[in-house]
Amino acid sequence: MSMLLEVSGVTVSFDGFRAINNLSINFAEAELRAIIGPNGAGKTTFMDIVTGKTKPDEGSVIWGEKNMSLLGMSESQIAMEGIGRKFQKPTVFEAQTVRQNLAMALKNPRGPFTVLMHKKTKSNAERIETIAAEIGLLDSLTRTAGELSHGQKQWLEIGMLLAQDPRLLLVDEPAAGMTVEEREKTTDILKRAAETRAVVVVEHDMEFVRRLDCKVTVLHEGSVLAEGSLDHVTSDQTVIDVYLGRGHV
Amino acid sequence: MRKTFLAQNPSVLWFMAALALFTIMVTLMSEATGVGLISTSFVKTLGKTLCLCLIALAMDVVWGYCGILSLGHFAFFGIGGYAIGMWLMYARTEAIILPNLAAQTIPPTPQEVSDAIGNQIFGVVGSSEFPLLWAFADNLYIQLLMVVLVPGLLALVFGWLAFRSRVTGVYLSILTQAMTLALSLYLFQNDSGLRGNNGLSGLQNIPGFEATPQATISILFFIASAMALALGYLFFAWVISGKMGSVVQGIRDNEARVRFLGYHVESYKLFIFTVTAIVSGIAGALYYPQAGIINPGEIAPIASIYLAVWVAIGGRGRLYGAVIGAAFVSLVSSWFTGGGAPDINLGFYTIQWTDWWLVLLGFSFVAVTLFFPKGIGGLFDYLVRKPS
Amino acid sequence: MRRIFLAVAILLGTALAAPAQTVQEILQTHADEVAKPSRKSVGVVLEDLIASGLPQVPVFLEAWSAKNIWQSPEGTFFFANKSGDTLALSDIDTGAESSAPDDGFKQLKPNGGVRRVIGTALVQFQLSDPDPARRADALTSISRKPEASQLTPLLASIEGDPDPDLKARKIQLANFLSARFAEAPDDRIAAIESLSKDTSVEARSVLNQILTVKSGVAKELPDVNIARTIDPTETPNVFYAQLVEAELAPPVTPPAAIRAALEQNIADGRVADIPVAQLSTQDERNRAYARLAKDGQVPQLVTQVYRDAALSEHVFYEVYDETDADITAAAETALASVETRVGYAQTVDLALDGLSLASIYFLAAIGLAITFGVMGVINMAHGEFIMMGAYTGYVVQLFIPDYTISILVALPLAFAITFGAGVTMERLVIRHLYHRPLETLLATFGISIALQQLAKNIFGTQARPLTSPEWLDGALVFSDVIQISYIRIAIFVLALLFLALILFVLKRTRLGLEVRAVTQNPGMAASMGINPDRINMMTFGLGSGIAGIAGVAIGLYAKVTSEMGSDYIVQSFMTVVVGGVGNVWGTLAGASMIGFLQKGIEWLNPSNTLAAQTYMILFIILFIQFRPKGIVALKGRAAAD
Repeated sequence: MSMLLEVSGVTVSFDGFRAINNLSINFAEAELRAIIGPNGAGKTTFMDIVTGKTKPDEGSVIWGEKNMSLLGMSESQIAMEGIGRKFQKPTVFEAQTVRQNLAMALKNPRGPFTVLMHKKTKSNAERIETIAAEIGLLDSLTRTAGELSHGQKQWLEIGMLLAQDPRLLLVDEPAAGMTVEEREKTTDILKRAAETRAVVVVEHDMEFVRRLDCKVTVLHEGSVLAEGSLDHVTSDQTVIDVYLGRGHV
Repeated sequence: MRKTFLAQNPSVLWFMAALALFTIMVTLMSEATGVGLISTSFVKTLGKTLCLCLIALAMDVVWGYCGILSLGHFAFFGIGGYAIGMWLMYARTEAIILPNLAAQTIPPTPQEVSDAIGNQIFGVVGSSEFPLLWAFADNLYIQLLMVVLVPGLLALVFGWLAFRSRVTGVYLSILTQAMTLALSLYLFQNDSGLRGNNGLSGLQNIPGFEATPQATISILFFIASAMALALGYLFFAWVISGKMGSVVQGIRDNEARVRFLGYHVESYKLFIFTVTAIVSGIAGALYYPQAGIINPGEIAPIASIYLAVWVAIGGRGRLYGAVIGAAFVSLVSSWFTGGGAPDINLGFYTIQWTDWWLVLLGFSFVAVTLFFPKGIGGLFDYLVRKPS
Repeated sequence: MRRIFLAVAILLGTALAAPAQTVQEILQTHADEVAKPSRKSVGVVLEDLIASGLPQVPVFLEAWSAKNIWQSPEGTFFFANKSGDTLALSDIDTGAESSAPDDGFKQLKPNGGVRRVIGTALVQFQLSDPDPARRADALTSISRKPEASQLTPLLASIEGDPDPDLKARKIQLANFLSARFAEAPDDRIAAIESLSKDTSVEARSVLNQILTVKSGVAKELPDVNIARTIDPTETPNVFYAQLVEAELAPPVTPPAAIRAALEQNIADGRVADIPVAQLSTQDERNRAYARLAKDGQVPQLVTQVYRDAALSEHVFYEVYDETDADITAAAETALASVETRVGYAQTVDLALDGLSLASIYFLAAIGLAITFGVMGVINMAHGEFIMMGAYTGYVVQLFIPDYTISILVALPLAFAITFGAGVTMERLVIRHLYHRPLETLLATFGISIALQQLAKNIFGTQARPLTSPEWLDGALVFSDVIQISYIRIAIFVLALLFLALILFVLKRTRLGLEVRAVTQNPGMAASMGINPDRINMMTFGLGSGIAGIAGVAIGLYAKVTSEMGSDYIVQSFMTVVVGGVGNVWGTLAGASMIGFLQKGIEWLNPSNTLAAQTYMILFIILFIQFRPKGIVALKGRAAAD
């Protein structure tokens, strides 16, 4: 099976500290994956590398069926290639309406002059409404994003990712600070999204990971410690030692 | 589209109406129509103020909407002024010199004409030769093109360099300040080709209109400035209204997020920076024929900071705020410094506003930043929108 | 060298052995020349007088030159002082005093030219004068106007001089004189070669005088000591003018002359059959002029073609005034070697200049770097704090006239005042604007214009003096090329002190620890009992206080005006930005880079400091492109946030 994203042998260090150490990890098309690991395991740095924010010292990041290297591409180019990222803190544009937020994210040409000449079309409006319905914000399209609740902002951000129509979605701790119902809804949204694309969830919360019911990769000190179903990795002794053991005792 | 755009932005219509009314009133009451309630010099002040409002608009778009606190936009304003000033000065000098030369027994050669004009213009800096910069000074159309091209190109190159290396925030502000400082220092040199610290003068005399009284010329420039402001307002309102506005304000609020949405943030910043620079150049080209003189002191870093002050006091992030700020502060400022404000006698000390105005302005600016971050424009919110 | 001394000593020895006479006798031998001396005739008198070796000779010469010699009606010469109608006389040889009415006595009044010749003759006596001050005077007068005749007496006086400094100076001057005036070419060459290590202005001027040239032009290169031939095509008009001056070519007819000639020859609206209206191009005018010339009405037109032909027919050269090619070659070599040395010395001097400029920038910027680095606050009023410090110094000097004490008082006082101002500003304004850096920038700018205008209202617009103590006047002179003023050394020392002090405060004190903690993680610092408010206040006060001290230092050598702050603020910002924020070493690196760079650019383009500043700013703009985080950049995730 050909892989959507192949990260192999990547190393990056900050001032001598190796945040990522010879990391290799692959994602298939239409896959839901959870990445867990203790603080400082390199989860965020891994996402920084894939999205082009951080350049690795060595290793390769290969994307898509054309085997394109993502290294050397800018953040916006990578995003246009079909990799979407959701940050840990909800970062929506609070001064703008939900519709404007979604419209900005909608998959359309991104050049400044096309954007300047952009006209509203019916098909765009329909797409926005479909996504708004998906994330449960159809009634809030005209509200300013700043007025939304914390959970709604998280959904809006996921909605913006969906609007980008990416082939790979990187989601950083989507459930943080959510109520139980909100979590359930988030799980549903992510699972549905994973039917047509790869979704990678970085998460602390074991309950949430269990609910996702997917393959799990455990990161530790910048490299993969274990990979498999949640039950498989949680029974792995090394994982228990470095992560679960420490985190739950 | 246009209809919906204006319909969505009633404030634009309001502004246009107010500006039109103001322009008509001033025109009718000016000396040009014989009424003379408004003196010619005050018409010039008003015309200049409109130009300042135009550059304040540009500043508001680049800072208030796009989040780039440029401390160098007056450099573009000055370049626009110099570009048009070169033609004005050349053409006017030519108009004076030619009849003199023609009165001689033998008709002048092109070289003699050029020498005579050059001597007249560059005599103050001890030269009579035309620098390369002045190659097209005799051609109004090329100089008008320069008004747009030179600020645009400078902004494009500077912006490309700065944005490409992700210089942001305070760093970018200081870098833009350095740019305008470098330009003004360069122009202060006698061999800069633009008459050093003498600058260009006599710009109020428009070649071809020697017979027209200043009262008429001033009102024509006033109307031209008003129209430029109106067009600028429409243009910027359009730019920031649609999806472009969304992206640009997104960049202001969270640059990284916009980048991860797939937008090439640098291109957008560059677009805004360059477009506002061009508008600043146009504003300068309209301003200096009314001011009559331009010199390198005009583009010292302090001028650009005042620009930021106007926009901040007026209320940034709303176009009419910038216009109000620029008009209010510059008019009040000239009232105080022009001796219009009455001195206050405290018995032991007399406060002369010509001396104390800047102190007042400085502290009130601090107060505005601290207590009214939305500026004067923020007051309109209370008037227009009923508290909900 | 030694050979020359010996030769001269022998020469003088024979002169001294001449038969003893009295001065009066010698004078009587040449009575006419003494009574009415001319520059030509006086030489004979002086030669005999000097040859006599009599001790009264210098006394007489001085009196002669000072117009104190009178001749009696009988023809005898006396020293004399006139008071009323009587003269107090004393005998030239014995000093026997008498007096006489002035009837028939004639005062000798040698003219300026003669007095100069006498003066030169006197120098050799002064060179051996027991009084070192007079010997030094003599040396000064030689160095001011070196002449061939001084060489021999100077050489003779070297051996016997007890003062080592004067002796060294004599040897040096003797070298200079030998290089120019020694008889034997070998002696001159030896002297010239000995100058190749001397970088003093004097030595260079000696070499340059040997190498003076005259420019010449001829059909063929003459057989003289040619310095170089010149290609006239680069500035043809200049060289053609030289041809004209040498009367080898007719003068150029400038356009204005053509025009004048045409104007004079207008007949019936035509010049040489060409209608006046057509004469609006230079070509047409030349055609008309050529016609006039053909008719012989005006001189021939010198066209460009003619000019270039004339230039190529002649050879332009420079010829040494010195005819001996060996000597000029030696001097050229020596000069080249001297200039290499001067080049090195200038580099050292430039480095010193750069260092002192860097110190000033460091002092001006370090306070800013602290507030910017630790608190992320841009303080546009920093320049005005510098100004406040300088005015504090000025006011202190109004009350304390002793400059040393007043500076010692002013430094801590300036620190205290600006510290207070900084703390006040932090409490009233900046505290409310944390996390809004652009607005802090604008608010502090408001304060800056208000403070500037306040200073203008209080102190007026003219510059106020801040006088440095006397012991800071003058300069430390290493050589004619390398010198540095004491004020700049003092500023350098002050900068070093502050570097040490700030490093000490930040690295070794509780305050520094807390400051660093707040910089790195304010939340965590607060939870550990550090009061970030207090730290911010102290930091801001410290940064402002240092600005005050920098103000006193800057005021000592620059003008104290209300606008002095704005002169330094942009440079200070650039120093901080170029160096890298949040790091004392970064500021040091930034200040050094900007200081040295500015001096370097000024050296490349010495005529224009404005241009130097322009280029420097352009360089900095480019530099930021490649190192957006400055020279000393923090790396890692801390830097990205």
